[in-house]
Amino acid sequence: MSRKHFILLTVVLVLAIAALAACSGGGAKVIKVGINAPLTGSIPKVGEGTKYSAQMWLADINKAGGLQVGNKKYKVELVIEDNESKADSAVKANTKMITQDNVLVIIGPQSSKQAVPAGEVANNYKTPMISPWSTNPKTTLNRPWVFRGCFLDPFQGPVIANFVTNQFGFTKAAVLYDIASDYPKGLAEYFKKAWEKLHGAGSVVAYESFTHGDTDFSAQLTAINKSGAQFLFTPQYYSEVALIVKQAHQLGWNKPIVGSDSWGSAELIKLCGSDCYGDYFSTHYAAAGAKGATKAFIDRYNAKYGYVPDDVAALTWDSLNIAKTAIQNCGKLTGKIATDRKCVRDAMANIKNFDGITGKMTFNESGDPSKCAVIVKISDKGEFKFFKQVCPTK
Amino acid sequence: MEATSSVPTKRNAFNAWLSKQWMPYRQVSLLGWLLGSLVAVLLETFIGTSLAWALGMSDVPALFGFVVMLKQPELLPSIILYLLLIYFIPIAIVVRLTKSIANKIAGLLFRYPLWITALFHIVLLYAVIDVWAVMNDYRVLLAKLMMIAIITTLSLNVVNGYMGEFSCSHPGFLAVGAYTASIIMVLFFVNDKVMGPALLPPALGPFFFPIVLILGGVVAAFSALIVAIPSFHTRGDYLAIISLAFMFIIKSLIENLQVFGGARGFMGQPNLASLPVVFVWTIIAIWTINNFVRSTLGKAMNAVRDDETAADAMTVNTRNTKMTAFLFAAFWAGIAGGLFAHVMRYVNPGSFGIKKLAEVLAMVYFGGLNSVVGSIVGAIGFNFLSEMLRPLEILKWVIIPVLLILVMIFRPTGLIAFKDFDPEELLRPKNQTEEEV
Repeated sequence: MSRKHFILLTVVLVLAIAALAACSGGGAKVIKVGINAPLTGSIPKVGEGTKYSAQMWLADINKAGGLQVGNKKYKVELVIEDNESKADSAVKANTKMITQDNVLVIIGPQSSKQAVPAGEVANNYKTPMISPWSTNPKTTLNRPWVFRGCFLDPFQGPVIANFVTNQFGFTKAAVLYDIASDYPKGLAEYFKKAWEKLHGAGSVVAYESFTHGDTDFSAQLTAINKSGAQFLFTPQYYSEVALIVKQAHQLGWNKPIVGSDSWGSAELIKLCGSDCYGDYFSTHYAAAGAKGATKAFIDRYNAKYGYVPDDVAALTWDSLNIAKTAIQNCGKLTGKIATDRKCVRDAMANIKNFDGITGKMTFNESGDPSKCAVIVKISDKGEFKFFKQVCPTK
Repeated sequence: MEATSSVPTKRNAFNAWLSKQWMPYRQVSLLGWLLGSLVAVLLETFIGTSLAWALGMSDVPALFGFVVMLKQPELLPSIILYLLLIYFIPIAIVVRLTKSIANKIAGLLFRYPLWITALFHIVLLYAVIDVWAVMNDYRVLLAKLMMIAIITTLSLNVVNGYMGEFSCSHPGFLAVGAYTASIIMVLFFVNDKVMGPALLPPALGPFFFPIVLILGGVVAAFSALIVAIPSFHTRGDYLAIISLAFMFIIKSLIENLQVFGGARGFMGQPNLASLPVVFVWTIIAIWTINNFVRSTLGKAMNAVRDDETAADAMTVNTRNTKMTAFLFAAFWAGIAGGLFAHVMRYVNPGSFGIKKLAEVLAMVYFGGLNSVVGSIVGAIGFNFLSEMLRPLEILKWVIIPVLLILVMIFRPTGLIAFKDFDPEELLRPKNQTEEEV
């Protein structure tokens, strides 16, 4: 190839690129919703529930031919990113969805350890984000762009303490929790504070901890057995709950065991079996005996994926519908992503009494909903039966 | 040429054609390649978005299409066309056109001391990275995390590659560096609710940031003493066990330190780790570590690795060598940790566990032992792969280990192992052959 040819080729190429670039018509107008979920890592069931809920939600919108905003119908696209249950991956996923995929709203991440740093990203880039399941106050604190779909740990702790006091009249509590995970640790502290407020200092007779990944709890459980506690509170995730409950029974514990919303997974009964029957936990909704829209959601999910959805799926469903309502309330999308995000955020903050399947929701100024907690009893068939509702006092 | 058979087959003919086409590019200096890349990224800045739209993509493919490739395989032809039009063809053209002039400039620069030539190239390299990254903040974040991964991998390679020990304590050093730097920065330069008002005016933060990072590195190096002293007389498996224990000790320690947030993590770091800052630190790290491993001490490390008794007999102070290398590696891991904390602006002990260890070890062994270039390739390659395969979800954790196994079978010491990295050779003008003809 001579030099002359080479230069000629260059000129032709430059012209071709310019021509291609000039005839571009701009991207098609679709609404993109980002999902930041732990599809792999230590809690894949949570990620799966999130994904399935989102896909059901999208199917609904597609059936209606798109999302009606003002007088226009928009196609909706989901951008599902795996955060590998790691904080840095959650930040990467959020940055990618915001700056690369130009999503309008982000749903997720679920666990606080990812939601706290990811919320910082969303807030910095002024993109509305709803974490359906994160109960750590820091997720939404001083972040006008970040919301959540569930109640907080400072609310859940007293709920459980009050419930046990009123229901059983107990005065001595034992707590067993994972010191290396922020959620169990935080909740154990809030519970202890609430319990000691009710029954005086020293009423938590055993306050035992273990470290993430432990599978043998006999030392702690023996101490709890000896302490004279009337019940055990353990705010652990489903995989650990099964081990703790079984080992407690082997060591001769026959008093009630009470848990928190992290128990509410479809996996719990599979792992724990009859050992967990008759125990109580506080959560966001009760699947067995649900009525109306909640029942419709559960039945659909069960028919499609073969198991009763856990609270993560239900909260994700609600968060997605909050996002949908906010987009519709916004009235008109300009196509300029920054303006639209602002509009959606403002609409979201102004939603009053949103009627979700996990209860009515209104966001307060920090982006947290005030909503009721549900006490669930695990029935003799292993179903999560509604037992009692506890609402925040105003 | 690797002509395996005497009969010219079609494949051989193609290979011959390919190498003939490649011939002119052999004489292209690094400067030429950098100039070509600069033109390509500038081209992308100006027409990338509209070209992407014209080809049916919603935006410029962030990581050369790696991220969209698996999510929307129907876009593959567009991505290839895009890469050809924006990257390959412009780089090929510019590199050829500027070949002789780039070589002349490189030759001219070569007469000055090496550091001037190197500085010139580094500035150009930064320009390429900066223009490429500012298109999109996702790229900025990835570039930063990749550079931090390079520092981490290099520092681990000093111990695991050059010294031949198997150390597992690197996440611990990262954590120590990250927490030290974060706590000092927040304590002195941020009005924080937990740590109280800033002790010094926050405006001074950027000036003290390097000092604080170095302090983080020094503290990490001191903590390395805890591993180094008891493991003096142990090698191999024993050191691995002691260092693994150290990693868990650090993690548990932070989890139980409620002042610094415990398991909930520590946040509020000022936004100081910008792209140029991380870039400069990475260059310093590569430069220092490369000089370290090529020095007498580096050769002593190799001697200790190959045969400790023999090295001792040949007057190598093995104890000193091992100690220095270990503390040096921990120092750089601490710096990497400090940078990581300020990029994420949130640290929690969970980030520095066994997962991190697996990641760092994978980068070292994937890239290549005993090789600076190998570590850079390993860190960048692993990060790219990890981002690219993310849409596959659980399958990703099948593919990456399988790839690692394949690398271990076919190249047991990694992709580019036991190679000396000589900056002088890299920056040399490549036109000697041309002049000779």
